[in-house]
Amino acid sequence: MAEARQITTIQAAAILISTIIGVGVLPLPLFAVHAAESGAPFITFISALVAMASLVLVSVLGMRFPSQTIGQYSETIIGKWPGRIGSIMVIAFFAILTSLAAREFGEVVITAVLPRTPLEVTVTVMLLLAAISTRNNITTFAYIHFFYFPLLLGPALLITVLALKNADTINLLPIWGNGNIGIKGTIDGILTIASLFQSAFVLAIVIPSMRRPNRALRASIWGMVISGGLYVTIVLATVSVFGSEEIKNLLWPTLELAKATSLPANVLERLDAAFLAVWVTAVFTTLFSTYFFTVTELGNLFHLKDHKMLSFFLLPIVFLVAMLPQNILQMYEVIRNIGQMGLIITIGYPAFLLIIAWVRGKRGDRT
Amino acid sequence: MGAREAGGSDLNARAWCKSALALIALLSSVPLLTGCWDRLEIEDRAVVLGISVDAIDPSEAEKEDEITHLRGSYLEPGGSMIRLGVQIAVPGRIPLGPGEGGGSGQGSSKRTVWVMDVPGYTIDDALMNLQQQLSGQLFFGHLRVIVVSESLARKGIQNLNDYLRRNSQLRRMAWMMVTKGKALDLMKSAPELERVPTLYLMSTMDSAVRMGKFPTNYVGMYWSRASKKGQEGFLPYVEMKKEQNIELKGMAYFKKDRMVGVTKPFEIATYMVIKGLNPAGYRAFVRLGNPERTVMVYATSRKSKINVDIRNGLPHFDVNIFTELNLEEKVSNELTVNRSSLLREVGKQNEKALLSSVESLIEQTKQAHSDIFGFGEYVRAMKPGYWRTHVKSKEAWQEMYPRITVDFHIHSRIRRIGMKAR
Repeated sequence: MAEARQITTIQAAAILISTIIGVGVLPLPLFAVHAAESGAPFITFISALVAMASLVLVSVLGMRFPSQTIGQYSETIIGKWPGRIGSIMVIAFFAILTSLAAREFGEVVITAVLPRTPLEVTVTVMLLLAAISTRNNITTFAYIHFFYFPLLLGPALLITVLALKNADTINLLPIWGNGNIGIKGTIDGILTIASLFQSAFVLAIVIPSMRRPNRALRASIWGMVISGGLYVTIVLATVSVFGSEEIKNLLWPTLELAKATSLPANVLERLDAAFLAVWVTAVFTTLFSTYFFTVTELGNLFHLKDHKMLSFFLLPIVFLVAMLPQNILQMYEVIRNIGQMGLIITIGYPAFLLIIAWVRGKRGDRT
Repeated sequence: MGAREAGGSDLNARAWCKSALALIALLSSVPLLTGCWDRLEIEDRAVVLGISVDAIDPSEAEKEDEITHLRGSYLEPGGSMIRLGVQIAVPGRIPLGPGEGGGSGQGSSKRTVWVMDVPGYTIDDALMNLQQQLSGQLFFGHLRVIVVSESLARKGIQNLNDYLRRNSQLRRMAWMMVTKGKALDLMKSAPELERVPTLYLMSTMDSAVRMGKFPTNYVGMYWSRASKKGQEGFLPYVEMKKEQNIELKGMAYFKKDRMVGVTKPFEIATYMVIKGLNPAGYRAFVRLGNPERTVMVYATSRKSKINVDIRNGLPHFDVNIFTELNLEEKVSNELTVNRSSLLREVGKQNEKALLSSVESLIEQTKQAHSDIFGFGEYVRAMKPGYWRTHVKSKEAWQEMYPRITVDFHIHSRIRRIGMKAR
């Protein structure tokens, strides 16, 4: 790596937090309630643990190969061509993740805020914004995330805390759920929610630029505790205010929660506008991360010195994939399916790499 | 770009790169140049402040214009019809401050809003019929009050709830109410106090909540309650009086989406006692012996705790209620309020009176299979095992609700007697 190792542990954690908090917060309570009704917060917690597995694996691998990104050490571990095939899968998955996040963003905007603006325009603008930002190097990438993460976390927490004044604890009981949903549905839900966290896989390309790569695990634990904590809080607030049955009627329960919440003394009677503003930023940081991952890893795959030219080269492809789902219900079906399959890539693949690395006794040079 | 320096061919490439960049920058500004798609000037909006929905006779179908469907086509929805009334704010007429516009009583309030009504099969059908005769685009972001007539509420308001939930402009903080008689009359009413009639309706409800006359029950809360498996929703039941004001006549309670009954106004207080809701706003007579020895008390604070256990295979509830009271008036001088033992006596009598009223309210809702208190939610939350094996669904709880037993343990204490010494 030519660039200096400049990213601190706190910055790495900030990258994870603002990457994880993304477009998924809107339907999150709906997914959770479909998995366990009143047990939704608990299920979200379990899902965060599942997602944690991916991050731990990536951190351990990254600490084992402190100066290489996942594409590079996979070639060391399992050989040149198998490693490249693995990398192509990861890159393709992240490109699709970018597309789907952009599309979901577009759908929310067109339904809730700007009904007459063409979907193509909102999606293009967002992707363009991400594409332009990915022309920076990884240090700037870290700075941008570090700048936005308090702006995401603060208002999101404020809104959920304010919403809690309408809360009714009986909606949260029993904390295991009423058992109306079979074990299959629950596992399906856990995997879906865990898949909302998987853009945190971007850590795999952050570690080689960390000032102290051996602290990657610490960064990922902090990142997960804070973002997972926020997810659980959001589900907790939504379920306790609406009750699990009402949430089943709402496409984006978190947005409804913001609508039903007002600032004290009615300074703002509904917070959905404020919430959406924060949420747009959150979507941007997520898109930025997944796009950046796609572009830099693609650059590494072709051994390019500079990934910048790929930013715009990728844009039409990502845009076209985003336009593929035919309607909003199909889009969510695709998001669930792709997300669950993605867990194979974000958990299975690094686990496989790590086991092979152990077996073959491969490790990177320590710096 | 361009940290690398090299020969002529590379320079060429750099020049090409630069022009490409310029092109991209130019292209990327295109989406910004188009302006805002969703620009809608306030004058072009028809800001809907209130909606009323009445059930009407299907024979009025002839009066409906063929806007969303052609008459006689297979697409005609059939079934019952509604009459939808809307109150639209007239831009510029609503005075922003007390001094502005010099509103002169009734006359001015008539002109701040524009009331229209149209028939239709469904809410959207009626709204489209209305839009066809209206220049401004209907906008629901400021919708504050939804009035439903009793006859429609008894038929069911599934369609109304569906439309409102789906519409992204609506706030969950609007009030929905059921009215005795025609709902359209409330839209047309012109109360003296407020220059915008719907705002009067809204402030009536908001201050009722503040004074403890009604539990907080925005439409979003009604929806949440109605969705729950172990609870039913309720709405305020109002009636228009001859001075164009509205009276809170009780709670209209529902079974799923259908209204099944209505309580007396005093039973709102009873409901709030059972749920332990504050502030407390109702007064009650307490009689000590003969009618001359009657006092009136008002509650200042209430607490309640609901415990559930399973007895003989059915849920049994113990409701512990504590109310704090003040004495507000007495009927005659036959009673001298100067000993604390007397206040204890008043408290005792109040407990008795309360007990009979809570039991009659429970009995009434049991007969309608409408658990507005959410006892079922307690079973679901506290006895999940029992719920799973015996209840499971909303319909099953509606069946079981009349068979549950409830014991009340009421404690009332009088604390103050006002400024008079005896």
